[in-house]
Amino acid sequence: MSGTKTFDEKDLAEIEKLTKKYPEKQAAVLPVLWYAQDKFGHVDPSVQKLVAETMDLPEAHVYGVVTFYTQFYEKPMGKHVLDVCTCLSCQVCGGYDILNYLEDKLGIMAGETTPDGEFSIQSVECLGACGYAPMLQVTNDKYVNYLTYEKIDKLIDDLKSGKQPGFESNKMPQHENGTE
Amino acid sequence: MPNDWKSYKPLLLPAIKDLHEISVYEKNNGYQALRKILKDRAMWSPQNVINEVKTANIRGRGGAGFNAGLKWSFMPEPDGKPRYLACNGDESEPGTFKDRKIFEFNPHLFIEGAIIAAYAMQIDVIYVYIRGEYRPFVKMLQRAIDQAYEKGYLGKKVLGSDFSVEMYTHMGAGAYICGEESSLMESLEGKRGYPRVKPPFPAQRGLWGRPTTINNIETLANVPLVMDKGADWYLKIGPDTHPGPVLYGISGHLKRPGVYEYPAGMNIMTLINEVAGGIREGKKLKALIPGGSSTPPLRADMLEGVSMDANSLRDAGSMMGTAGMVVLDEDTDMVDLIWRISYFYDHESCGQCTPCRDGTGWLEKTLRKIKNGDGELRDLDLLLAICHRMEGRTICALADAAAWPVRYSIDRFRDEFERKCKKTVYAVA
Amino acid sequence: MPEIFIDHKRYEFEQPGKVLQFMLDNGMDLPFFCYHPSLSIPANCRQCIVKAGMPVFDRDRGTFKLDEKGERIIRFFPKLMTACSLDLADGMVVYTHHTDELVKQAQADNLEFILINHPLDCPICDQAGECPLQILTYKYGPEGSRFEHKKVHKPKAIQLGPRVILDAERCINCTRCVRFTDEISKTHQLTIISRGDKNYPMTANDQVFDDPYSLNTVDICPVGALTSADFRFKARVWEMNQTPGIDISNGKGCSTWVWTRDNLVMRITPRFNEAVNDHWMPDSGRLSYRTFNENRISKPWLRPDNKEQVRTTWNNAELTLREELDKVESSQILVIGSPHASVEDNYTFKKYFESLGVTDFYYLPHVVPGAGDDLLLSDDQAPNTLGVRALGYSEIAGDKLPKIVTSAKPKLVFILDDDILDRSDLTSSHLEDAFTVYWGTNHNGTSLAANLVIPITTAVEHAASYINVDGRIQRTVPAKETLYTNRRLNLEMSMGRLDHYGTKFDNWVTDANRIDCIPAWEFITRLNPGSDTFAWESSRQILAEIGGKLNIFRGVTYEQMDEENGIQLNLEQDSEVNTV
Repeated sequence: MSGTKTFDEKDLAEIEKLTKKYPEKQAAVLPVLWYAQDKFGHVDPSVQKLVAETMDLPEAHVYGVVTFYTQFYEKPMGKHVLDVCTCLSCQVCGGYDILNYLEDKLGIMAGETTPDGEFSIQSVECLGACGYAPMLQVTNDKYVNYLTYEKIDKLIDDLKSGKQPGFESNKMPQHENGTE
Repeated sequence: MPNDWKSYKPLLLPAIKDLHEISVYEKNNGYQALRKILKDRAMWSPQNVINEVKTANIRGRGGAGFNAGLKWSFMPEPDGKPRYLACNGDESEPGTFKDRKIFEFNPHLFIEGAIIAAYAMQIDVIYVYIRGEYRPFVKMLQRAIDQAYEKGYLGKKVLGSDFSVEMYTHMGAGAYICGEESSLMESLEGKRGYPRVKPPFPAQRGLWGRPTTINNIETLANVPLVMDKGADWYLKIGPDTHPGPVLYGISGHLKRPGVYEYPAGMNIMTLINEVAGGIREGKKLKALIPGGSSTPPLRADMLEGVSMDANSLRDAGSMMGTAGMVVLDEDTDMVDLIWRISYFYDHESCGQCTPCRDGTGWLEKTLRKIKNGDGELRDLDLLLAICHRMEGRTICALADAAAWPVRYSIDRFRDEFERKCKKTVYAVA
Repeated sequence: MPEIFIDHKRYEFEQPGKVLQFMLDNGMDLPFFCYHPSLSIPANCRQCIVKAGMPVFDRDRGTFKLDEKGERIIRFFPKLMTACSLDLADGMVVYTHHTDELVKQAQADNLEFILINHPLDCPICDQAGECPLQILTYKYGPEGSRFEHKKVHKPKAIQLGPRVILDAERCINCTRCVRFTDEISKTHQLTIISRGDKNYPMTANDQVFDDPYSLNTVDICPVGALTSADFRFKARVWEMNQTPGIDISNGKGCSTWVWTRDNLVMRITPRFNEAVNDHWMPDSGRLSYRTFNENRISKPWLRPDNKEQVRTTWNNAELTLREELDKVESSQILVIGSPHASVEDNYTFKKYFESLGVTDFYYLPHVVPGAGDDLLLSDDQAPNTLGVRALGYSEIAGDKLPKIVTSAKPKLVFILDDDILDRSDLTSSHLEDAFTVYWGTNHNGTSLAANLVIPITTAVEHAASYINVDGRIQRTVPAKETLYTNRRLNLEMSMGRLDHYGTKFDNWVTDANRIDCIPAWEFITRLNPGSDTFAWESSRQILAEIGGKLNIFRGVTYEQMDEENGIQLNLEQDSEVNTV
């Protein structure tokens, strides 16, 4: 991303639509930040400033909000951000092993980005997939469940070749024997 | 607990293919409860709907277990200005992963429940707050909402009546605290998610200062069942004090972890051994966290005859919480586990109130010290003292949630903590 | 009347309100950090925790339920409550640390929590001595700490803006500063960032905290997290003495505290005045303290034969002035008063020249359009514009002044403390043919152009009154000594620790800080020895004289001003009398 960041006509129309959902424009801060992060890949200070100006809100307010919510990237991240859950069920089911394997594989520590800018790893809190532990989330989107080292290898290869993981539907065990 | 659970047919998440499609949902009795209400307004005045739901005693599935209908009745009389329903799909309590099943498999049941709730409380705008990590599920729900708009269940003049209601999804962005209802409102208003001082309660001053009710997703999904088949029918499911179906999120060292739907009050050992296939690799059960990370852990020997309903768990020394059960086998290092839970609460404390902001960090640091083998026996008493000083002294319950697992696991697994501590304390000159 | 029982004592209350404020209003003590009477109530510090309950009401009988001893049965709230957010309610029972062990313990516990991540660097902290955290820890805190880990580290010595410096480690997250910029100054420049024990207040990324009221956040910061870039490391609180004053750098006239050490003003902070400035004041007013210390005119100055100005004696100044007066007719004298000088100075100045037969009196208003705001800054930059007008001086615009001078061709010009050459179209060449006498406090372009300069006292060296833009008359109290005043003799002057116990031989005391100047009225008294008309001994006496002559000032006394933090005048009467 070079030069100053801007929202184009289409973006502004989209932001207008998001804002209309609420009686007060400030309420749209989170949706607009999400929108900006999708567009720019992060919400660094320059994006925060753009969001504040576009929404006519104090810049400090936007900054405070961004730093409160962990999913907003305050600085540019790797192309793929791998959020490995290490909390509770994932911890007891080997979440840290998965994290360490990933760290070794990519040669970086949690919280870091590979020099080629391809991958970032983070150790994160419960992602709500406790029954499918250990698991990770790829760039705030799809979950990859029941992780094994082999599954990690495949995931990294896929991501490198530009293939995003698909949505894994975890069926209810009750349904499996039932009349589906 | 009757032994008929094996023949139980799920009500919230029945095994029907493509139920998330509105056409399939409609074919399976979907939106009939709403139609019934709007057809006979004399019979189903808002007050009567509230009464019916109150009678059914749907206990809030978000953790507090409060009668949903009673909560609805706290809303003041309408004054012509906006009122809001906020649906809590933040689902961030570690061990909890049930609401996402509703978004994926039966979103219309929840939507119908929310519309009925809005009708009963004469609310015109519904926000569904979903944690940002659930992005794929937000898309699923949004698709279902769009379908419901198309079919006239949402929007102006629902099904041709004079009742209008809008429904919007709102995505969080990574903050456990936003599952706390007043923090959720702050977040919805576009602020940092700081819990609000109560009173005033949301029904008095909620979103944008207007009366607001906050309900859990699963709670609302129970509403169409009650309105369709009646409170009397609903009360027959599960124990008297905790009726209705419950989504049990069972995780940990199990052969078949996952979300299961059974009546409330299932025997815990049945759930572990029969429903979820027992402990992996033939290991023995060591402990259970019954309802999400904040509920006090129970030792295996404390589980005899205990069932998953609020009263039984209270008697056993824990809580129902979100029914997100974490099952731990004999190899589990409790110190490690409790340290990681403390780390979670330290990470998620919003930092507003003193005892929580500094207390969660203190707990985490002390537990890390013990985990790393640098702890001393007196640290255990210190931990208990810190817990005692955090509980009940803050605006919201996060401090309590952080303190309970520590306090109770030291109480119930003290040997294990002591084994990790250094035995000799050298006097420093 | 509704009643509340606090520590077994019964109080009545009329207005709805919060328990903490009610207790403070009634002189009771309760520790708190985040609460501020002029800001919203977040109840986040949890320090003002109390045990509270309500009597159980028997609906059937319509009375309170009583126990076997005949006392009301109290149902206590399940948790301890923060008094700051607790509404007063009829019959409420409150127990504080004085009567309840649990409350006492809870307050100590809370302080222990606050202190675990606080650096405890009081010896090098500017806030020490006036730090609520320090004070409350001594009063209510635990004996020691059981925290044996590394504290959380955060940025230190961050220049948030030109006037405010942040030490994030000292911050206890009370959010007063953020609330101030959100609710009072409304610049919204601050926010809390991050979460948990890692959070602290900050500006947006490249934004400068240049809020014109930024220093108020330093005042309300209950710890040393926000300190004044200007005052930092200059003086300890206990070395200074604190004198009430008013801000004379602006027309609003905020009530102030003037902090002096060894006859230098070290800083100015706001003093609570509900009618004018609440708890706040603009940064510009605080930083104006320098004018009281620097560039002061000390001793009279004379320009013999239009050469360089040289210092001279009071006697010589007096003689020179008399000589010049003898040379001219009253019609050849031009007198310009000042909105920057006090009511008393302007009054005596005018009275003296009226006695010499002068009839026209002017003043140059000091208004900068657009400089003001809706809060505490006015367009008017002078503290006494309404005062000088009420005394009968005529307003003259800066561009009209040269015409007055060229047409009247005065031989003798008297200017009272106002840099009129700077603010008008008048230049020193207009005054070339006249002998100019400047009575002023500080050197400036006008004083340098004058033939004779009489040094007079500033607002922090004399007692005098000023009328603000809203018509409120307020007065000052001498805070620093001149060469001719003495703290020990002047009962009005406050005595700090240093003043009490320091001696002439203490190395931190220097006479150089005492300016050789006198009040304008005192010089007029000197010019008229033996005259009953000009025989004033104090400004108090002068104000009484004015009150006897001008309706606006009737009954106005220093005592009443002191008691009521100033008096609102009825300036409708303005036009009634214009000559003294």
